[in-house]
Parts: sequence; C-alpha cells; structure tokens
Amino acid sequence: MITAERKPLSEIKEMIAPYRKILIVGCGSCVAECASGGEKEVGILASLLRMDARKEERDIEVKEITLDRQCVYEFIDQLTDLIDKYDAVLSLGCGAGVQAVAEVFSQAIVVPALNTTFIGETKEAGLWVENCRACGDCKLGYFAAVCPVTRCSKGLFNGPCGGSKDGKCEVDPDTSCAWQLIVERLDKRGQLDLLEKVYPPADWSRQQGKGPRKIKREDQTI
Amino acid sequence: MKAESRLKRVLQKGHFAVTAECGPPKGADPKVIRKKGKILKGFVDGVNVTDNQTGVVRLSSLASCVLLKKDGLDPVLQMVTRDRNRIALQSDILGASVLGIRNILCLTGDHQSFGNQPQAKGVFDIDSVQLVQLVRQMRDKGLILGGEKLTEPPDLFIGAVANPFADPFDYRVIRLGKKVAAGAEFIQTQCIYNLGRFKEWMGKVREHGIDKKVYILGGITPLKSARMAEYMRENVAGMDVPEEIISRMKSVPAGEQRREGLKIAVETIEELKEIEGVHGVHIMAIEWEDAVPQITEEAGLIPRPDV
Amino acid sequence: MDQKSAGLKVTFFFCQQIDEHQDVNRRALEKEFGSEIRFFPLPCSGRIEPQHLMRALESGADKVYVITCPEGACRYREGNMRARKRLTFAQGLIEEIGLERERLELINLPAGTITTIDKLARELLAREALVGPSSLQAQALEGKKLGVA
Repeated sequence: MITAERKPLSEIKEMIAPYRKILIVGCGSCVAECASGGEKEVGILASLLRMDARKEERDIEVKEITLDRQCVYEFIDQLTDLIDKYDAVLSLGCGAGVQAVAEVFSQAIVVPALNTTFIGETKEAGLWVENCRACGDCKLGYFAAVCPVTRCSKGLFNGPCGGSKDGKCEVDPDTSCAWQLIVERLDKRGQLDLLEKVYPPADWSRQQGKGPRKIKREDQTI
Repeated sequence: MKAESRLKRVLQKGHFAVTAECGPPKGADPKVIRKKGKILKGFVDGVNVTDNQTGVVRLSSLASCVLLKKDGLDPVLQMVTRDRNRIALQSDILGASVLGIRNILCLTGDHQSFGNQPQAKGVFDIDSVQLVQLVRQMRDKGLILGGEKLTEPPDLFIGAVANPFADPFDYRVIRLGKKVAAGAEFIQTQCIYNLGRFKEWMGKVREHGIDKKVYILGGITPLKSARMAEYMRENVAGMDVPEEIISRMKSVPAGEQRREGLKIAVETIEELKEIEGVHGVHIMAIEWEDAVPQITEEAGLIPRPDV
Repeated sequence: MDQKSAGLKVTFFFCQQIDEHQDVNRRALEKEFGSEIRFFPLPCSGRIEPQHLMRALESGADKVYVITCPEGACRYREGNMRARKRLTFAQGLIEEIGLERERLELINLPAGTITTIDKLARELLAREALVGPSSLQAQALEGKKLGVA
C-alpha cells in the first residue's frame, strides 16, 4: 500500500487558517490501513480541530466524510453535493487522492493533511516498511524477491558493498542488508549462480519518466 | 612522452607494489595535496586520491590527481558512483585520461548520510561493478554505455576494492570474482588488522584462481592510538579490529602508541609479503602521510624498483 | 468543598469485568450528578480508541478516565496494555492542541482489587474535588494508581 503519516497539527492549522468551514475527506484504502487517513483518523482530526478552535475562541465548522478510495472519480463524485458548502477541503488521502479531488473540483481549495511516504507492506501490527520504489522495471525475479532498488541503501545490483556487517546495513543498524538476504536466499535454494553475471546498469528512464508517468489502456476505455 | 601507469609496470614486472592514499583538503587549496605528494614521492608506486570520502565535500579527486601528476607522481583516481550519473562518470573518465591520469579505482562510495551533505541526492546510477565493466569497455572496445563509439578510447589501469572482513564472508570471494570478470586489473583491500581472517580469505581467493587473474594489494592503516583502534572497531562499517591489536595498543603508554602502531603496520606488511597471491600493499595513512616513508623503509620496500 | 461544586465534567470508560453489576451500580451516581458524569462500560478496556477519548473531551469532559483490570489480569490478555498504548497516543494528540496530557488518565487497578464502579467513581471524583480543576498537574504528581477501596 501507499503509506502516509499525518502532518503535525501546527502545519495543518496554518494551511486551513483562512477558512471557516472545512470538509475533511478521508480514504478507506491505503491510508486507512496504515492508520493515518481512514474514517477513525478523520474523526480524531475533526475533534482536535474543533476543540482547538473552541480553545482559541475561533468559529469553525468541520464536516467529516470518508470515501472508499480518494483516487477514483466514482468515489470522489460523492463529494459533489457537499463541495460548495465548504471553504476548503482538508484531505486525508495520499498525494494521489489529494490531487484527484483537486482535479475533479477545480474550484475547490484542497490541502493535504498527510505526508505521503512510501509504497510498503504491513510487516506487523503498527509497523510499515518500504519495499517498492516503483522503478517500472521489476527485477525481483533475479534477486530472490528482495528489491535491491528499495532495500539496498545504495541501490546496488551487484552487491553487497563493503559496509555490510552481521547482516545489517552500514547506514542503519536496524536495517537488514538486502544483499545479505539475497545471497542467503539464493544460496539456500542453490541458485547463487544467478549472481555470477554482472547485472547491467538499470534503465532509470522507466522510473523517472519524462515528467509524470502514465499508463494508457485502450481496452479499458469506455 | 606518453603518460604511463608506473603502478601497472611495477606489478607486471612482478615486483611487490606499494601504493598510498592521499586525502584532499576541504578547500580550493593546491598546496596541501602537493605537500603530501612530495612526502610520498619515491616511497610509493601509485598514489590514490579519495573521492569525497565519507560524503564529505573536498577538493575533487580529479583535480588533485592532476596536481600530483604535475609533480611527477603516478596518481590513482578514485571514482565513486554515489555522486555522478553515467553521463558525468563517462565524461570524467575521458577527462582523467586526457589529463594524463592512468589509474582508476572504481567504488560505490559511502552513503551520503554519513557526510556533511546528508540532504544530497545519492545518485547510484550504476554500481562499482558496473563501473569497472564500463571503464573496461570504454578502454578496450572504445564504446560507451549503449554502444556508441568513442573517437578516442581512454587509457586507464582499472582497479576495484575488496573487503575480506565484511559479510557475508563466503560470498565475498564470489563477488571479487565478479569484479575481476567485469574487468578489474588490480584490487586494493580494506585495511588488515586480522591477519588470520585475511589469510583465510586469500586461501579462498587462490582456490578460485583469482590471484592469477588480478593483482591484489593488501590494505594497511597504521594506528595512531588505542582509541583510534577502538573507534574503528565500533564506528567504521566493514572493519575487523581484533582484541589482541587493541590490547597491544593499550599495553603501551600513550606517548608510545604511534610507535607501536607503526610497528604493527610494518609487521603486517612483512606477513603480506609472504602470502601467496598478494602482489603489493596499499597504505592508507590518512592525515599521517609522513608515516609512509618510515613504514616502507622499515618494511624493506625502499628503494622502489626501476621500471 | 463537596464534589458537586467542583463543577468538573468527568467521563469514565471502564472495563465491565471490574464490576459484574456495573449496570445497576452506576445508576445512583448518574442520578446524583446528572450530566456532569458519564459512564461508558467496555467489554474490555482494550476496545478504547483514541477517537472515543477525543469525542469525550469534545463533548465537554474536563477529565476522562480509562479504568482497566490489573496488569496480567486482562481476560483477553493484552487488552489493558493496548488501552495504555492508545491512551498514551491520545495524550500526545491533545498536547498538539495545547491541552494537558493529564486530562486523560489511565487507572490500572492494583492486583486483587475488588470494588464496584460507583465506589471507584466516587473515590476518583473526591480526588478531583480536593485538588480542583486547575491543578491537573498536581494530580499527576499524586500518582496514577488508585488505592484499594
């Protein structure tokens, strides 16, 4: 999923300061999974903003709504009747959601309550770790399903580097050395020979694109 | 007269080679490098210049190598893949060759978070193995990445690094083999304090026949103090400093620890000379370059051969 | 100073396992204090969520208690530990808007406590009355655990 973390309240307050009526929009997908932008988090943020306003004797009206997904028009459409009643939308979607809403309602002021961070997995309850950098050229088949782009701090394709110690990365002792994992896994299944050849330089244009990347599927169009 | 690699000639002629390392200053000052060069001249075959080591901004390796070349030394350009993409790397390789530099050491580089520019974007467009392969291809086939032809190929003796002390231990030799297969012609290892482990590694190297395909120079860093030994053990990744070395340094009063560190360095070099497959020594006496003449003399490496 | 005139609005979230007759036992208090106190029984204190605590404060509570079973005695094993983590998280949230952490308080009953919800509530309210609404800090200094009734 795409993970995100809520911005500090001070930053959120600064963004919505000019507005009195706020529509807080959550998302029931990725950000709900990582406990930052789902229905619960929308409720918490709404309470905090109302209490804060009361403390500072400010007038504020906060409406809460959570969409199943904030990056898909069919769901964003549910805001159509609400949008004009509010001065600003405080989105708890990931960056994709924030922008999708802003695209659909081009006159609306949409601000992000979250810092979108990475693509990752739920490793255990309360712990999310990055495992994909969307390079557009998945090489997991060659590296025992351990992504060297994401999980090796230096993105080596012919690792490990000289800083791998006791299975940990030199950059962070809590981070496993991805190359140690790759070597161990391949060794266990007798496939170390997969690493014999020099893996060639990557085609980074597939990750960088020429500006924002896109996918077009004619068979999927209406 | 066409520029040549003295280091290559020394190794090809079968002599035990000596290289040393030189750290550039944090400023636009040519005097520091030239001074270090003068100290080392005559005591070494090649001089490495580090490339923004540890991610700390310093006078560039390329510029420093040019200064050393002018003063009659044989510089080894260290090039990391952390800071430059393939366009810049290939361009600098051509530039180095044109400026008379004949040796290159290909490395990935320390992660940028260690240095004084932790907010910098770590490039890592290619890794050190791919860089070795690239330089080799540029030199021997006159081709850049993607296959386009160069008008004039660079002339460089190609080196890479090896760390016998990092993990996973067993895989290290396979990775060394990969670097050799990619085109590495000489190897400089991480500094050796644990001779036992190094010998074990060399055993594996010989087992795989790698010593016959590449020149290996064992790394030496003389210890200045017991504290330095402890610091290296705790804080430098991929470093193996055995307890005996630390106690040996501690057993000597502070004023005599430098002397002891030099003794250990010389002893280690004497051992290296006896290990089959070790073709030389690489002395990394960073900020203690004036220890190199003493070490090489006491280790019986002076005078350097006439090649 | 009697409890009523302290004028504090207090909300009690509490684990039902503490008092099997909680339903009946809290009626008297609810009658006596009216809207000043509210009780929310939970099947396990671990069911408490930060947004419940937010809403309690938002609806006017000056102080919110979460009362859990003794450590190690949670019927569902980690429920009371979870309650503590969530309460701590919620304390961080209210600090962001300048409210004192002490407005939310976890009461972890000492092992072997046998009591009723009304007794418990009265003791806590008495503590509030003595100390007064403005010295939440002082209450924190007093300590988090309640003495046996």
